[in-house]
Amino acid sequence: MSFEESIKQELENKFPFFKDAAVIKRPRRIFADVPQERFFDVFNYLVRDMQFAHLCTITGMDEGDTFGVIYHLSRDGVVVFSLRIHISHDNPKIKSVTGYFLEADAYERELEDLLGIKVEGLASGQRYPLPDNWPKDDHPLRKDWKLKSEVDNA
Amino acid sequence: MIQALFNIIIFPGLLFLFVLALAAEFVDRKLSARLQNRMGPPWFQPLADFIKLLGKENILPCDADVHIFKFMPVLALTASATSFLYIPLWQSKALNSFNGDVIVVLYLLTIPTLTYFLGGWYSRSVYSMIGAVRSLTQLFAYEVPLFMSILASALLANSWNLSEIALFYSQHPGYWLFNFIGFSIALISLLGKLEKTPFDIPEAETEIVAGSFTEYSGKLLAFFRLSIDVEMVVGSSLLAAVFFPFGLGLTPVLGFILYLVKVTFIVCLISFLRTVLARLRLDQMITLCWKYFAPLAFLQVIINLILKGVFLK
Amino acid sequence: MHNSQDVQVPFGPQHPALKEPESFLVTLRGEKITASSVKIGYNHRGIEKACEERTYIQDLYLIERICGICSHSHATAFSQAVEEIAGLEVPKRALYIRSLIGELERVHSHLLWLGVAGHEIGFDTLLMYTWRDREVVMDILSLLTGNRVNYGMNTIGGVRRDITPAQAKEVLKAVDTLEERTKYYIKIATQETTIIDRLSGVGVLSKKDAISLGAVGPTARASGVARDVRKDDPYAAYGELDFKVITTNTCDVYGRTVVRVLELMESYKMIRQILKDIPEGAITVRAPRKIPAGEAASRYEAPRGEDFHYVRSNGTEKPDRVKVRAPTLANVQAVSKMLEDRYLADMPIVIAAIDPCFSCTDRSIVIKNSGTRNSKTVPWEVLHVQSIEWYKEHKGIDFSALNKKYAKHFKI
Repeated sequence: MSFEESIKQELENKFPFFKDAAVIKRPRRIFADVPQERFFDVFNYLVRDMQFAHLCTITGMDEGDTFGVIYHLSRDGVVVFSLRIHISHDNPKIKSVTGYFLEADAYERELEDLLGIKVEGLASGQRYPLPDNWPKDDHPLRKDWKLKSEVDNA
Repeated sequence: MIQALFNIIIFPGLLFLFVLALAAEFVDRKLSARLQNRMGPPWFQPLADFIKLLGKENILPCDADVHIFKFMPVLALTASATSFLYIPLWQSKALNSFNGDVIVVLYLLTIPTLTYFLGGWYSRSVYSMIGAVRSLTQLFAYEVPLFMSILASALLANSWNLSEIALFYSQHPGYWLFNFIGFSIALISLLGKLEKTPFDIPEAETEIVAGSFTEYSGKLLAFFRLSIDVEMVVGSSLLAAVFFPFGLGLTPVLGFILYLVKVTFIVCLISFLRTVLARLRLDQMITLCWKYFAPLAFLQVIINLILKGVFLK
Repeated sequence: MHNSQDVQVPFGPQHPALKEPESFLVTLRGEKITASSVKIGYNHRGIEKACEERTYIQDLYLIERICGICSHSHATAFSQAVEEIAGLEVPKRALYIRSLIGELERVHSHLLWLGVAGHEIGFDTLLMYTWRDREVVMDILSLLTGNRVNYGMNTIGGVRRDITPAQAKEVLKAVDTLEERTKYYIKIATQETTIIDRLSGVGVLSKKDAISLGAVGPTARASGVARDVRKDDPYAAYGELDFKVITTNTCDVYGRTVVRVLELMESYKMIRQILKDIPEGAITVRAPRKIPAGEAASRYEAPRGEDFHYVRSNGTEKPDRVKVRAPTLANVQAVSKMLEDRYLADMPIVIAAIDPCFSCTDRSIVIKNSGTRNSKTVPWEVLHVQSIEWYKEHKGIDFSALNKKYAKHFKI
């Protein structure tokens, strides 16, 4: 059994709902979807017990009805475990993981600025990466966001 | 009277000094460029820079104290140019001399640093103020070794008069060789005075933009830059007079050439040192000056006292 | 927290120590730094959003322009992700060429860094020397790819240009020169007293902090964390190349310098091996216009550290989401830690020691005419008139007469 499979196996033993949730896309790449309410159980287990001690980045994306948030975790720099949650489009809210990874600060600010996902528990501070005078409710990475010129021409 | 005016204004006074200062800047820039694998500027570049700066607009910061801000560059230039009058150049007699003029020269050479401080402080820009404070802090570190090493040489000559010091060494050939430690210390302290690497801490570009000179522009900056060049020539001449006091009895032409060689040699040493060293940190600079240079300068004083006691009874 | 002895010094967005716009605000007491904060985001150009509106092959060229120094890194990371989704088998020769360009890029980037580091500590001679030698590798890059920067070497499914034996010979010759020079820099970096004084003990980042702050690349390796994507997660030809991961345990700027100069030696070794072992064959496979739906996470060891790309496709010819995490964003978090209790004079070199590349870090958003904001373009003629008015009003100087005289030159 390869170590990707053993990681998958370990998670399935610990969290029964993980059956078929984790997909090994290729050696060293595992993708998994997890319900939002169970996210922190899995995340905590991965980080604390399975030594996924490096957060590569957090990717947010607009999936139409939902927002997807992917936490790309890596162990010893070798295997990348991408843990994905889906959150509602109308009231997008997640909890901060800065308690686990200090560097998540910048990644979560990006989610707030570019997609308008509210991150609870994120310390107040300067916004990133949009300029300070950018409108608060303008989130360019959302699929329905258009350039003003496009809006005018429509 | 006319002779005196000619001496002060044209030769070997102000005009000559300015030409020499610009030439020294050229030597410094060219040598350092060649050491760094660069082409370096053409010979007229320092003059061209000076003229260009004179033609630029003077920008005065709103918060600055305008009078002090404008006065400081002039004062810096005046002070360093004045001290030139008391330094024996190619004869053992300076243009003007009196007993105790070595103290006056050292004092006048301190004034430019004070003007950097005041000019920077009254610019009211945060970079200028930090640079100003650094200038002053640095002053306290290098002045003591510099004074001690020059006074050690004066001690041996048993005079506070630069011309008499020069006369003494030309009458006792070979004695200047004993001042080697003093010369090294004085040369390094001169780097601090001229704010050149490794002691360009007050104008460290990557930290505080240009230090005291951050807010200066146009004519005022031109005068500050000229005053640094003048200070370089005056400092080199002082070192040449105190530590290389040989060949002063030659014919005027030969003596003049020898003087130029001495000054060029010291300018080249300055240029070489600033090219091969990295900038120190303020705390490292102060430790260096107080821990090593001051005791070494003191050692020079002791050596000279012994020499004087044993051989020059 | 803030008392009258404290001075706040802004570093940036424009500052001689910084080559790109970013802003550090440090609070000083005397020469000591008591607090620091960083603001980035000035170079946000909307690349992630723009990628969603372009085809894959257009994106490749856009992505290459995220950064001028590690352009090959981003382009390779992106094409790897797309190739993985499309299930393309990239020819071996192409993988070797990718590694070759990648290592040449690392050489140029590390030499550039060494020069910048010298400049930050007031040692411009080092800057002049290393940048002269950097020209050698730049020439080689332009010989192989046609460009000095933004090489345009990658395409989806392989590389665009092959290397000829004659070119390989030139590369080997250049590598010999560079190796000899690098040995000299190693000697300087390890023996020059003022350099050692300025670098050692500065910007300390302990191994624990390096891990917990997520540092990557030479920054992490200098703190004893042997993290290198080339070794851990081999891509391109790195699985078959023989190289060491350089680490030190000094945890300071000196260690970061040593790691980088020793990495140069490893790169030379790898370049030689690539040119010796490069297999014959095609350099590209045909890529479909429409990439099937899927997603991939791709990593690349850029000169500055791990470069992370995530690409998601939806079966059309444009990607659904492209996410780029440049190494600097992972490292910049550690800067505040490194600056703790240091002097102002250390600040430039500490910032430079992570080899920051803020254009990489800040990406998305088209600035022109956002959804609700009104921006306006001021034409040159209007600016000209405004400047004349300003001088009349504030300085009492009237340029209008002069202006009429020269009007024909200005085309107003």
